[in-house]
Amino acid sequence: MNIKGYFRPKTMLAGALLCGLISCKSNAPKTTNGEVSFPRNQTLYMAGFQWGEPNTFNPLCDWPAFPVGGNYNLMYEPLLNYNSSNGQMEPLIAKSYQKQNGAISVILDSRAKWSDGTPLTAEDVLFTFQISKTYPSAPTAYVWTNISAVSADSVADSSSESGKAERVTFTISKERNNPLAVLDHLQAVRIIPKHYIQKQLDAANKDLAEFQKVKLDKDPVVSGPYTLHSYSGEKIVLKRRDDYWGKVLYENRLPKPQYVIHPIYKANDHFSIALQQGNLDISSTFIPRIWQKEKQGVRTWYSKEPYFVPAAMSMLFINVTKAPLNDKNFRRAMAHAINYADVKELAFSQYSPNLEPGLILPFGTEKQFYSQEDVDKYGAKYNLEMAKKLLKDAGFKSVFNSNGELEYMTDSKGQKVPTLSIKSPAGWTDWEAMVQIAVKGMREAGIDIREGFVDASIYFNSLPTADWDLILHAPSVNSTPSQPWTRFESVLSSRNWKPVGEKMNENQGRFNNPKAKDYNYKVDSLLRVIPNLNDDAEKLAAYRALNVIFMQEQPTLPLVYRPEQFYEFSVKNWDNFPNESNTYTPPQVPCFGVGIKALWEINSTAK
Amino acid sequence: MLKRYPTLYYISSRAVWYFITFLAAVTINFMLPRLGPANPVDIIMARTAGGLDTKAAMEKEESYLKGFGLVELNKDGSIVRDASNKPVQSPLIKQFFNYVKMCLKGDLGTSFLNYPKKVTEIIAGAIPWTLALQIPTIIIGWIIGNILGALAAYKRGVYDGVIFPAALLANAVPFFAFGMLLVYVFALQFNLFPAIGGYAQDLMPSMSWEFISSAAYYYVLPFFSIFLILAGGQAIGMRSMCIYELGTDYIKYAKWLGMKEHKIVFYMFRNAMLPQLTGLALSIGIMVGGALITEMIFSYPGLGMSMLTAIQGNDYPLIQGITLLVTLSVLIANFSVDILIGFLDPRVKAGIGGK
Amino acid sequence: MKILKNLLKSPFFVIGMGLFLITILVAVFSPIFYNIDIHTRVGAAYTNPGGKFILGTDHMGIDMFSLLLKGLQSSLYVGFMAGIIATVLGTFLGVYAGFKGGWIDDVITMVTNLFIVIPQFVILVLVSSSMKEGRSLSLIALLIGLTGWTWSARAVRAQAASLKSRDHISLAKVNGVGTIGIVMLHILPYLMSYVCMVFIMQTASGILSEAAISMIGLGPFDTVSLGTILNQAMRSEALTDGAWWAFMPAMILVTVISFALYMINTSMEGVFNPRLRK
Repeated sequence: MNIKGYFRPKTMLAGALLCGLISCKSNAPKTTNGEVSFPRNQTLYMAGFQWGEPNTFNPLCDWPAFPVGGNYNLMYEPLLNYNSSNGQMEPLIAKSYQKQNGAISVILDSRAKWSDGTPLTAEDVLFTFQISKTYPSAPTAYVWTNISAVSADSVADSSSESGKAERVTFTISKERNNPLAVLDHLQAVRIIPKHYIQKQLDAANKDLAEFQKVKLDKDPVVSGPYTLHSYSGEKIVLKRRDDYWGKVLYENRLPKPQYVIHPIYKANDHFSIALQQGNLDISSTFIPRIWQKEKQGVRTWYSKEPYFVPAAMSMLFINVTKAPLNDKNFRRAMAHAINYADVKELAFSQYSPNLEPGLILPFGTEKQFYSQEDVDKYGAKYNLEMAKKLLKDAGFKSVFNSNGELEYMTDSKGQKVPTLSIKSPAGWTDWEAMVQIAVKGMREAGIDIREGFVDASIYFNSLPTADWDLILHAPSVNSTPSQPWTRFESVLSSRNWKPVGEKMNENQGRFNNPKAKDYNYKVDSLLRVIPNLNDDAEKLAAYRALNVIFMQEQPTLPLVYRPEQFYEFSVKNWDNFPNESNTYTPPQVPCFGVGIKALWEINSTAK
Repeated sequence: MLKRYPTLYYISSRAVWYFITFLAAVTINFMLPRLGPANPVDIIMARTAGGLDTKAAMEKEESYLKGFGLVELNKDGSIVRDASNKPVQSPLIKQFFNYVKMCLKGDLGTSFLNYPKKVTEIIAGAIPWTLALQIPTIIIGWIIGNILGALAAYKRGVYDGVIFPAALLANAVPFFAFGMLLVYVFALQFNLFPAIGGYAQDLMPSMSWEFISSAAYYYVLPFFSIFLILAGGQAIGMRSMCIYELGTDYIKYAKWLGMKEHKIVFYMFRNAMLPQLTGLALSIGIMVGGALITEMIFSYPGLGMSMLTAIQGNDYPLIQGITLLVTLSVLIANFSVDILIGFLDPRVKAGIGGK
Repeated sequence: MKILKNLLKSPFFVIGMGLFLITILVAVFSPIFYNIDIHTRVGAAYTNPGGKFILGTDHMGIDMFSLLLKGLQSSLYVGFMAGIIATVLGTFLGVYAGFKGGWIDDVITMVTNLFIVIPQFVILVLVSSSMKEGRSLSLIALLIGLTGWTWSARAVRAQAASLKSRDHISLAKVNGVGTIGIVMLHILPYLMSYVCMVFIMQTASGILSEAAISMIGLGPFDTVSLGTILNQAMRSEALTDGAWWAFMPAMILVTVISFALYMINTSMEGVFNPRLRK
């Protein structure tokens, strides 16, 4: 037999390619219309919000795909937007809001419409809030801690065509009495269409779990400026809605990009490669050493350090129910043992001002509550000798081997202290580096502690149940009207205190057990009082008192300041993005809260 | 009875052998992850433990446990639970048979990361890319490598002096290192080729010219990073084979007869080819492993990338599904080569066994 | 001696052995001359090479050259360990199967062929991904050795089978020498050259496998190897930041070691199989 007859490489190659392409086609995302390419000058690429394959676009699911859920305003919209650069609430579905005694009410914009033409009414707002009362497992059920009732009526309104406008009133829960938190909810909850959702919920026998299986990924009814065009494991494509009701808020203009595409990258470095190659316009991920990328057209809010606007803190939560972590001197020794300058420089690429002890940011809107005097007096700064001294005074002894490496430590009773561990998601390079630096410092000080990197989903599951010694967590990162109160609440509050094993969504380290002998009632009463204080001097005094308690007790270990969100952009294909010298929106990605305004202002520079 | 058709006999005996190997692979795929400290039931429990109070999480957990046949079931199909409400695990052997049953039905379970997506669905989306990348590279790499090897052996002198060390060097470069180098030089430093992905992101996969040309452009770097290394390895083997053949009596005799050179080369090539084919069959596994890593470097949307994301996200069902499928494809590739040998090898036709 | 003389005549052997010896010498002795702690930062992230640090620093400000030396030591260790395990196991099974023949041979050959077609990479991924804790350098080496023996077994079996029918072995059998005796005295010495070659190839493949498995993030914990250096460089954007010193030297080292080992192997093939010589 002749060999040649059996080797037809070309035929085989063509066959293989054909076979590949045919299967690709069958794998193609479902498009509503036949478009297969998106002109660069009308397409904005943004990434960093969706990491895995999109599963569902159902707003009642726990983790729907971008841009459903979260604070995105692209498909579903909230009543109000919070502008963190001036601290004001801005209108969206609601034209205005008013604080009354024990309630907050909003007047709805009668022009608001769903994408199927149905007007967006108080019915929809009531439905959105009521549904999480009916179903406590709904993702927005948390609002009912602070709200006790929602009702609607109509009021005279000269500016609307009918002369009337709908008003929705949120009664503030007496128990919590926290108007700040209610205001937070009004800008956080996205309104969903009753006429569309109710029907499908009924079809699922009013069973939420059953309805959560519906993906709502085909022609969803939305109110925002974009709607879902198509999606696959590689990207989510949104298409502009030219009949968006909200264009009246922008002098009848539409957002510039016809398409917003969210590519789904699978590794950290892809964002940076794509930005530099001009394939990505906006990224919301941690990209180290941003100054190296400047020559490739990559920009951030500031063109110099710290590059981003710091608005929150990454910190190590400590499980204070466990020995030796229940000893505040041990916790303070830990705080003294961390090299914060290294964290900032090596783990966080200098994207943070120098860390000051305490929970109040010494800059921006929170600066008014900050006291340098208290911080100098009570705060723990990096000081290994101090850390060692505190440990020694508390009776701990550390044994080092001949190489100077820590072997183990014993407590005041001479018992060996089991090796502690810091839980953190594996693969988040900046977080991993932070943990490594913290571990290194603590081990030098004689504390037997190790890194405990786990899968991200395991991390998220264990955060609320406290099955850890220490855990890295960035609490309440969003810039909301209620900062810094929210940060204190999420670190110190024991009003929902539950034992280890049960879920807590704030104070996960179980600080200040209300049933314990040494319960400090001052913490919770201060947290209760602050949201209703109007006098600035009173507020300052209250915040100072809380911050001092925090520094004395050290229930968590703040490591570094971080921005509300990372926001990098490339000027290769679009320009006029907001930045430090062009502050028409706060430093937010243009899809997030008021940041969405940027979609109207950017200009294409693509050829 | 098959003895009268030696080729057929050979092929069917190989088929039986491969089926046994497949069963062994399934067993390995089942057993190995269970050797580690974390067993699948624990992992599933840990995954959903945080949300056990919600119905959705319960359902999710149950569907995993049932889907993988890990737990004992009541008659009504609900899960048997012990006093502390923990599911009762099935004995290992029962779990194993459930697993084999699933595999034979073509069900590889549900992905952790992309719940409720089936593992088979994810694999089906990735596999065309892997095939389109690997089949041509392996075939072309094999052919070019063999030609170069034969050339080096026959011509000797300068040819051998250049080709052979070059092939040795190419063969020594790890796949991923070469991939990284290509990305660094051609994509990032000179910006000539794209660094990541399988096609331009402003396109949707379709049969349009635009898409195909874009896919071809994205194909270049991954192709070369695999091809050169493969060709190097094949050239080394072929060179040895040909040198061996050149020393045989029939070639000497042919030369003495004054046969035309291209005829001699043809005979040499044909005879050296058979062992090379066997060699190909044996090394496909290694090549595929290397090529999967190359996909990871280039984020090529194939199986390698799915495997990497699965590894990073501890998506065990997906990892297991992919490893099983990779093994299966390697077996199929081997089997195809064996069939080819069955038709080409005169010894098989003579009924005295191949290999 | 004669073999060594012949080997030394081969330029491949001289170059390969030279390169390999140099890397070993560097790995063993360099820490005496160049000793910068790899747990302490010494500069900024990705400091350029030259100046105080020969190869600059990595993304955590750690001296790159020290990391590389440590990585080289680890990779050589894994390579040798895996090489020894795979060679011993493979040789033992191969010789035993080849010499014994019969059903033992059939079973061993079947198992060998089975594990040859199931990709080693797949098994490594399956095992390493299910070991979330305690993935040490030695464990990785053990894994690679235990999954890589099949090649050695196959190669050695063929040789052993061909030796079996030789006269002196029949003579030994007649003289009542036991199986182990025959294997030790009469078969292994003849196979030494093959075993050497097998060991060299297994070492090379051990180094490459470790690098590959570390590259995808399934490598050893708490230690530095050439593979983990590459993995870190990839994850910490060394490629996009143009920090070539963070990955190029490690890549070159892996390549040079395996290239050197391949050269040695080729030259040995030439010497033991004279027909391949020029």
